[in-house]
Amino acid sequence: MFLLLWVYTFVGFYPVSQDTIPLAEVEVYAPALDRFAQGQKVISWEKAELEDFQGRSLGDILQEQSPVFVRQYGAGMIASPSFRGTSAGHTAVFWNGLPINSPSLGQSDLSILPISSIDQVSLQFGNAGALFGNEAIGGSIHLGTNSEFGKGLQAGITHQTGSFGLFNTNLFAGFSSKNFSSKTKVYREFSKNNFPYKDLGRIGTPEVKEDHAQFEQIGVVQDLAWNLNSNNQFKTAFWWNKTNREVQPVMGSKTKDVQEDQAFRAVIDFFHFEEKSVWNLKTGFVRNEQLFNASENNSTQYFVAGDWDQEISGKWTSKLGARYTLTKGDLSTYKADDERIELYQSTKFSATENLSFAINLRQLVYSGTFAPFTPNLGMDWSFWNTNTQSLLLKTSIGKGFKVPTLNDRFWNPGGNPNLLPEESLSGEVGLNWSKKGDLNWTQGLTYYKMSVDNWIIWLPKGSVWTPENIKKVSNQGLEYQGSLNGHLGLWKWELATSYTYSKAVTTKGTDENDQSIGKQLPYTPQHQANAKVQVKKSGFTSSIGTFFVGERSVTADNPRMMPSFQLFNFGLGYDQLTLGKLQFPLSFQINNILNTDYQVLYLRAMPGRSYQFNLSIFL
Amino acid sequence: MKLNQLLGALALISASFACSDSGEEKPLGKYNNGILIMNEGNFGTNDGEVYHLNPNTEVLLPNIFEAENLRPFAGLLQDLVLESDRLYLVANTGKVEIVNPADFKSLGAVSAELDQPRSLAVNGSKLFISDYGPYDASYATPDSYVAVVNGLDGGVVSKKIPVSNKPQDLFSFGNYIIVAGSEENKIEIIDATQEAVITTINLEASPRQFYAEDGILWVYAVAADEVIFYTVNLSSLTLGNTYTVPVTNATGNIAFNGDDEMYVLTSSGWPDYNDTVLSIDINGSTSTATQLMTGSGFYGIGFDDNLNQVYVANSNGFQGNGTVTVLSETGSVIRSFEVGRGPSGFLVYGN
Repeated sequence: MFLLLWVYTFVGFYPVSQDTIPLAEVEVYAPALDRFAQGQKVISWEKAELEDFQGRSLGDILQEQSPVFVRQYGAGMIASPSFRGTSAGHTAVFWNGLPINSPSLGQSDLSILPISSIDQVSLQFGNAGALFGNEAIGGSIHLGTNSEFGKGLQAGITHQTGSFGLFNTNLFAGFSSKNFSSKTKVYREFSKNNFPYKDLGRIGTPEVKEDHAQFEQIGVVQDLAWNLNSNNQFKTAFWWNKTNREVQPVMGSKTKDVQEDQAFRAVIDFFHFEEKSVWNLKTGFVRNEQLFNASENNSTQYFVAGDWDQEISGKWTSKLGARYTLTKGDLSTYKADDERIELYQSTKFSATENLSFAINLRQLVYSGTFAPFTPNLGMDWSFWNTNTQSLLLKTSIGKGFKVPTLNDRFWNPGGNPNLLPEESLSGEVGLNWSKKGDLNWTQGLTYYKMSVDNWIIWLPKGSVWTPENIKKVSNQGLEYQGSLNGHLGLWKWELATSYTYSKAVTTKGTDENDQSIGKQLPYTPQHQANAKVQVKKSGFTSSIGTFFVGERSVTADNPRMMPSFQLFNFGLGYDQLTLGKLQFPLSFQINNILNTDYQVLYLRAMPGRSYQFNLSIFL
Repeated sequence: MKLNQLLGALALISASFACSDSGEEKPLGKYNNGILIMNEGNFGTNDGEVYHLNPNTEVLLPNIFEAENLRPFAGLLQDLVLESDRLYLVANTGKVEIVNPADFKSLGAVSAELDQPRSLAVNGSKLFISDYGPYDASYATPDSYVAVVNGLDGGVVSKKIPVSNKPQDLFSFGNYIIVAGSEENKIEIIDATQEAVITTINLEASPRQFYAEDGILWVYAVAADEVIFYTVNLSSLTLGNTYTVPVTNATGNIAFNGDDEMYVLTSSGWPDYNDTVLSIDINGSTSTATQLMTGSGFYGIGFDDNLNQVYVANSNGFQGNGTVTVLSETGSVIRSFEVGRGPSGFLVYGN
């Protein structure tokens, strides 16, 4: 996570390569996510690691390769993240620095954020209200597109065919010179999703084929970057994504709901570089259109932001910024506007090469109301270093908040304009041990503790549901992550493992008789683990991955538990097939090898074993 | 019991009010005694279930459908209809499960062709199932129907008889099925042989529930500021007397105690959310309504004829399991206990 040091990328902007900086490629500037995130846990996947998940969604990679639990409502259906036992509304999601959670729902559906459309994913864990603002309570997800200068013409096509009518195609073409870069991606993902499952809602529990879960998604991503001169750079990105789904009914129901989601997202960044500082002006636009049967819910957000990142001295770095957001909601039952202004400030103090501190502050004002002020304090201390080994201690404490969503405040009937923002406090300590040699490893163990107050829940009052600031929740847990790699003869091998223990308990409920008090939150497994082993030799790659999700309850009072499950996936690839300048990477995947019958959420059927062939042609 | 004595061979025990089959000698099974508690379940979760309560020992058996059939009920439970050897579990998610009332083992189902079934009545060897029909684009139900199934253990729907919007309770008598047409304030009468509506009676309020007692069929109907009890003359199929009681915000939930007294739930709805349990006493042409309990989240009501106790179900906001509070006839709280999700009604067996 120290790869993205600001200096590295800052210098990286200059097209002239310098002997002292080992730059592999010349990148377009992107402010590093963890520049002021000392003490916080951040994990990232780069393009190569995302390749294995081409044709799948962000929800899949989070479920299979991170400590995040993903609540999946079926194959290709709504998938919402749960970081550290919090709910989907406690996860901020960014695309190229713009917050993209739906302002009416206050969350994102990970199933319609396709991996094909993004080049980089980072996850940050724990409260980061100061660094990332609204909804960064359990954590935040940062998606990015990258463009590069000086690469000439690049193009490719990838096609995937698989079980249950899977048929994906994606194309990309890019051109870049020393001072201009353009990249276009076009994709279509389709699945019939007619997988067989045991229908528990029918007498005799016959095996039937799912007949109402078809998924079709198309999209275009366009990235452009210019160097105006050696001090000024423009960067824009545009993303249009449209998904049409048949909504998979819960077993025992025959609903034939259909849902169309369309999103337009655009961002323009202007960077001005001075010797020891970077100015960033950012403006953006996010429009969400959702059509559920005949009910239409739309929202538009406009953003204007600016910040100034400055190296004051060798030890002190600071960033000062502001953002204005105008939201216009045009929902099926109400229309509402919301204006937000936020100011933020970050300071980093590097006492020595091995010890640094960060203090981050943010204040947001929405529709004239002050959200909780959120400070955050963090430290990274690499306190033991030898030639081959190091121990790094990370610790932080901070606050987070969630402004009531437009639906919470304005839904008609039931919306509650008097809701308070949710407020959270969290702290964590992590120890990372890394070793280099014939056998390389990194091992990390993090303990966190968090509480969320004024948690908003919707309750029926007569025939109308209305939200209230009712709950208080206390979470704590342990996260272990390890990776190990080495050689065995000519084979390169790699093992990655993770285990998460999460205890998320309701401490205050609707009243003193609330049966949920002292019990684990619904759909929040206490135990989760995953592992992946990969071997490589002369262009061949083979991997087996597994993930385990522990028992979880259907409701907050825990009378009904869903059984744990473990799935295995297999992958095989060869990437050295070439013809002249053309490359033909091939791969083959088996998901759910053991054909395990499982549900993530109660009575939501999930597919058994499936196969997928991937063929690409790259220029 | 009164109903059987009165109507001879055709017995109807409908919906969420108490009835019993004490007129016949039946082997006493594990579940065909005491009280069955119907838990509707949560929308989108389909976790409807039945609990069994022995009111004397207070022993409560949870999720008895799943326990006896080793599969979840997987539906939203709208109604329980007991018909001699069979208990019909009507799920508004689109099916009817049929179990043996003694041991709750599955006997059959109607699982195709239904949309949003609400209640069921048996006539001869046919099942009649009231169904809202599918929602249209604006969540209206213009295609409501009563489905016909030939066979008491379920099977396929052989015919859908169009009726007025949102049919609720059904009552079987002679060769007729009487339908409570809740949205258009109508009672429709179906000839069970012809499988067609032959007569329609217009009402001043929305009919929700039938109840037969001492040779009289009562219709419970609700309007904004009053509830109306109609009587139906079963030989001429015409309306008899009408009793209007000024009760505001009444819901369709009612339990009859068999002595011209009934218990209804009211809810003021948004934004005050005050729910009440009222006892209504009809005596000659006068009626009195007495408030027994107030609260929030009342979702079903029942009456235990044997112990003279009122059962009030509370959904607890569907956040988890609901609770049941047992009241005396005068409204004092006897006890309270946790049941399944969204408890919505009770089926009380006689002694």
